[in-house]
Amino acid sequence: MSNVWIVIEAAAGRCTKAYLELVAPAQTVASALGASVQALVLASNDADATSAADALGQQGVGAVATVTDAALGQYAPQTYADAVAQAIQAKSPAAVLFYGGPTASDYAPRVAAKLNVGLVSNASDITVDGGKLTITKACLAESMLLTQAIATDGVQLATIRPKAFDIADGVAAATPAVEAIAVTLTPSATSLTSVEATKVEGISLEEADVVVSGGRGLQAPENFNLVEELAGALHGAVGASRAVVDAGWRPHSEQVGQTGKTVSPKLYVALGISGAIQHLVGMRTSDTIVAINRDAEAPIFKTADFGLVGDAFDIVPKLMEKLKN
Amino acid sequence: MAKQIVVCLKQVPDNTKLRPETLTAMPTHGVDMMMNPFDEYALETALRLKEAAGEGSTVTLLTVGHESAKNVLKKAIAAGADAGFIVDGNDVPAGDGLATAGVLASAVTALVPEASVVVCGTSALDVSGGMVPAMMAEKLGWASLTQCKEVTLNGETLSAKRVSELGVETHAITGNAVLAMMKCDYELRSSNIKGVMKANKTQLPIKTLADIGATVTAGITTKQLAQRPEKGDGKVIEASNGTTDAAVDELVAFLKAQKLV
Ligand SMILES: Cc1cc2nc3c(=O)[nH]c(=O)nc-3n(C[C@H](O)[C@H](O)[C@H](O)COP(=O)(O)OP(=O)(O)OC[C@H]3O[C@@H](n4cnc5c(N)ncnc54)[C@H](O)[C@@H]3O)c2cc1C
Ligand SMILES: Nc1ncnc2c1ncn2[C@@H]1O[C@H](COP(=O)(O)O)[C@@H](O)[C@H]1O
Repeated sequence: MSNVWIVIEAAAGRCTKAYLELVAPAQTVASALGASVQALVLASNDADATSAADALGQQGVGAVATVTDAALGQYAPQTYADAVAQAIQAKSPAAVLFYGGPTASDYAPRVAAKLNVGLVSNASDITVDGGKLTITKACLAESMLLTQAIATDGVQLATIRPKAFDIADGVAAATPAVEAIAVTLTPSATSLTSVEATKVEGISLEEADVVVSGGRGLQAPENFNLVEELAGALHGAVGASRAVVDAGWRPHSEQVGQTGKTVSPKLYVALGISGAIQHLVGMRTSDTIVAINRDAEAPIFKTADFGLVGDAFDIVPKLMEKLKN
Repeated sequence: MAKQIVVCLKQVPDNTKLRPETLTAMPTHGVDMMMNPFDEYALETALRLKEAAGEGSTVTLLTVGHESAKNVLKKAIAAGADAGFIVDGNDVPAGDGLATAGVLASAVTALVPEASVVVCGTSALDVSGGMVPAMMAEKLGWASLTQCKEVTLNGETLSAKRVSELGVETHAITGNAVLAMMKCDYELRSSNIKGVMKANKTQLPIKTLADIGATVTAGITTKQLAQRPEKGDGKVIEASNGTTDAAVDELVAFLKAQKLV
């Protein structure tokens, strides 16, 4: 029986628990193709490979293949693409799903080009139609939905949009059978010389279940304590509009929108944000959107599930007060 | 040493003027079009690299698509690029990353053979493929890095800062490379009258696939473009002049009902 792979970049702290979101779409694809799910773990040492295999077993993944090579310890797109392409050639999986974060989005296209096969990216839904992977994805800055299918023969590749699929609860754990795949990696022309960890206070914006964002309506950088406190009360992360990033009130790492981050938390709260299209594209796929703005005509209210027309400085302290009770 | 730099520019629908209800296929022309936003950062990065590399360096623009993309190329020439080519995209399936990357790689080899750096955007706003730059690098046998926010030239070595789940990574690059930019800390420079005049005089030759020796491998089939299902109308209530408390209570009840608090 053939396999559907989910790729786990277990080297150098790249993969997070969010990678387990790949399990559900892989099961959908595997059952449609009459295949089974196997994880391909990329690691630089045996300890990382083993702990990744354990985490996968907890999520019910019963089969793991590993590529372990010291060269994978430093991320280089050529090395990673080489490792995955060689593993695919050795084992011929039917399909390979990647987690569409900054790592696989960078090297998966190289895998596709090396093997001369199609890749569909950023899938928020995935099915199989006539044996071909068929995905639905956001396009035109999140405003419409595009359906695409793989057109080539052989292995089918897809990257999955972060947060599009849920990690299943209460799955029976498995003890995965582990198989090692040998590859011969050639040196890469890029070398990672340093990583400056961006200051993440608490929860990262992309992974947070709740995001509270502030805009120019907060009137001064010091008033962002209101945003921080509400985010704290809701166990969420802080986001910002570009207006306040451009004004130097907040770092670009917090910017949500077309030229910032795309988030889709369970709850998005917009404080003093007008709702310009370039902001909306970064958050409109959030499950629930709450907007607080003193202008009843602000476009953010068209996207909001619940809107309060009023002064954030009046509303937010009351909201926190009532949330405490 | 002088460097020959290529920038890949794509014209995309202007999403601020888009009317989703009128679209059944991804438009490549015929609606309000603009330079892909990330490509503006690619262009500015390339212009900076050209200045850093010094005398004799050039920036050449490539686009695969409709002839109306000349407007986007003109804007880029006005900002300081030297030359540009349009590769007729009629036979290249729109938004197919594998097909487009193969054609662009052939275009670099045929039209700018001395090129050592290609700068792109990280993803195009229309299809959001995010794959052309790295695929093109693989086809050329070059290095690649995407999601870059800065690329600099230190002597002969290129160095790129890219944003990942770990933070900001710095990579040193040897040899030829394709670099894909996202939002940078700098914006595209504005153009002056002299630039605009130069842009109007610059020829932007249209090349066929045969001219550049390109063949097309389709990677994907596009099935449909659809509107997002409408969200049910949200509730908007007044929260001022004495109604704040009641309104906030209602919000809290709503959040509780949704199991969000
Ligand atoms: C190419 C391009 C890319 C862009 N990318 C992005 C992006 O990635 N992200 C992004 O956010 N923007 C982006 N923008 C900018 C975008 O167009 C808007 O300018 C920006 O989002 C506005 O930010 P804002 O809502 O904070 O400010 P404003 O539009 O000034 O809105 C402030 C709001 O606060 C309200 N307000 C004022 N006082 C109060 C109060 N006391 N209580 C409650 N409400 C109050 C006002 O009614 C108003 O609606 C981009 C623009 C361009 C051209
Ligand atoms: N048809 C095209 N012509 C020129 N450049 C393109 C084209 N398609 C994609 N690119 C480049 O590749 C980048 C990423 O595009 P994509 O992979 O389609 O999201 C864009 O920002 C452009 O720099």
